[in-house]
Amino acid sequence: MMAPFFKYGLFGDDVSLVVAFITGIGFGFFLERGGFNSAKKLAAQFYFTDLTVFKVMFTAIITAMVGLYYLSVIGFLDLSLVYLTPTFLLPQVVGGLLLGFGFVIGGYCPGTSCVAVSTGRIDAMVYLGGTMFGILVFGEVFPLVSNFYVSTPMGQITLPQITGLPYGLLVFLVVLMALGGFVGAEWVERKMASKKAGAAL
Amino acid sequence: MKDFYANLSLNKKLGLFAFVLGFLALFAGSPYHGSEATVNAKELALIVEKEVDHVSVQTLADWIIQGKSDFRLIDLRNEKDFAEYHVPSAENVPLSGLDQSNLQHNEKIILYSDGGIHSAQAWMLLAAKGFKGVYILRGGLEEWKDQILFPHIPENLTPAQVVEFAKTKEVSKFFGGAPQSGGTTDAATPKLAMPKLEAPAGAQSKAAPTKKKKEGC
Amino acid sequence: MSTQGERHPQPYWNPYVAGIGLGLVLLASFVVMGRGLGASGAFSSLVTVGVQSIAPDHVAHNEFYSEYIGDGTKSPLKDWLVFEVLGVFVGGFISGSLAHRVTKVVEKGPNISTRGRLLFAFAGGGLMGIGAKLARGCTSGQALTGGALFNVGSWAFMMMVFGGAYAMAYFVRRQWQ
Repeated sequence: MMAPFFKYGLFGDDVSLVVAFITGIGFGFFLERGGFNSAKKLAAQFYFTDLTVFKVMFTAIITAMVGLYYLSVIGFLDLSLVYLTPTFLLPQVVGGLLLGFGFVIGGYCPGTSCVAVSTGRIDAMVYLGGTMFGILVFGEVFPLVSNFYVSTPMGQITLPQITGLPYGLLVFLVVLMALGGFVGAEWVERKMASKKAGAAL
Repeated sequence: MKDFYANLSLNKKLGLFAFVLGFLALFAGSPYHGSEATVNAKELALIVEKEVDHVSVQTLADWIIQGKSDFRLIDLRNEKDFAEYHVPSAENVPLSGLDQSNLQHNEKIILYSDGGIHSAQAWMLLAAKGFKGVYILRGGLEEWKDQILFPHIPENLTPAQVVEFAKTKEVSKFFGGAPQSGGTTDAATPKLAMPKLEAPAGAQSKAAPTKKKKEGC
Repeated sequence: MSTQGERHPQPYWNPYVAGIGLGLVLLASFVVMGRGLGASGAFSSLVTVGVQSIAPDHVAHNEFYSEYIGDGTKSPLKDWLVFEVLGVFVGGFISGSLAHRVTKVVEKGPNISTRGRLLFAFAGGGLMGIGAKLARGCTSGQALTGGALFNVGSWAFMMMVFGGAYAMAYFVRRQWQ
């Protein structure tokens, strides 16, 4: 086993920042390629007219998930060394809800707003200003919400651990779910397009 | 079948590919290998206590003479000391550089420093990082000098001891050392002879003559 | 890609191909760094540095900020996520320029004023900032990264993001349609 390279000490902190920059370039490149620099396109996800967000996101998730799985199975990557954010269920559920509201109201999420800013979207610049303001507000009220922030701790836990199902089975199920979702998404898009065309006539 | 595949749209090809990979995942097993790299303080303490993590200088000398290459010998001292003298085949990784070293988890690693303290500390660091095959050269370079390079050969040897020390001399010469004969007090004699009991059995020592194939330094 | 139609923005890629590209970047990050991607964390560092420059004592006594200050041995901006997000800006610009998609524009539906849209953008950003900090990550750090790792909290988070956005969509439809 030799990966993750950084954890096995193949390079140091300074090089890791270069890696970070290059990784970010790749991340930004494909976000823009997928159309994530456009708030209209992103928001259309929530009106069922353009399901690109779902398609790109779930393709990315299953690609990384399947890749991670096979690289670990062949012994190239030590999966236990890949950092897993600990789960705090309740704050994450509430945070997710607020983030969902913010997504459709603002039209972006933090990552997508970056590519939108660099491709000239003025609303994205304002959005990012708002994000930083939100973080500032959170930081200022943190002493008041810190108890909630650390409530319902579950530690570093994964779906295979909590369900007791084999990792490989879950990989298969998520791939199936995503493929089913993609078929459904294509169908919905066609349906919405023909409805729109019908309304225009 | 080929035509069937060729006629699929790109999306369907990708979908098929994902399905196949997902399906195979059902049978490919667990990705974890049970290789959690956590530190178990008790387990470490037991290893330390049993000294199974030690390698004697004689064993190391034998391995080098036999040309064994299934381990990596790491010199933890600074570059200057390393340049002055190091055990043949050793690599220089100063303690401060251990983080950035290219040591692999699946390698057998033997550490040495002047005495034993730096090696022990490095051993802990590596163990905490999940390395399993890390050993310490017992007594470090000091012991290497005393036992291998400049062994004291006492006088008044029994015939059995003569054979033993003949090997010691061979080994010493192989590494460019000089056996020190005589001059030692009687009290010191048994002390010097003691570690010899731990030396590898005859089978391994017999291999000593093969050294001539390998250039000693 | 063809270069004809110089000034016309090219269409976006097939979403599945873009998704695979994104997934491979994420996978590379796992393999090289042992961690996934992120975005909101970088802005937390930026905000922390901003607050610190105005009120250093305040930052030192706040648990949230001090997490981003670290042990004080190096600048909070010398951070993995900060450099990654800098890359995101650059990568987005490269892709956008190659496809002639860099235009100074306000993204909005036809039924809302520019000022109205910008107010919504700010408000949405604010909610996003609070939500992302509460959830310990945003769509990149939780949904994408945690999703690929089967992280329980991330999957719960992801469901809530889609749920929340669909629930709110009706009320802000004038902005987009």
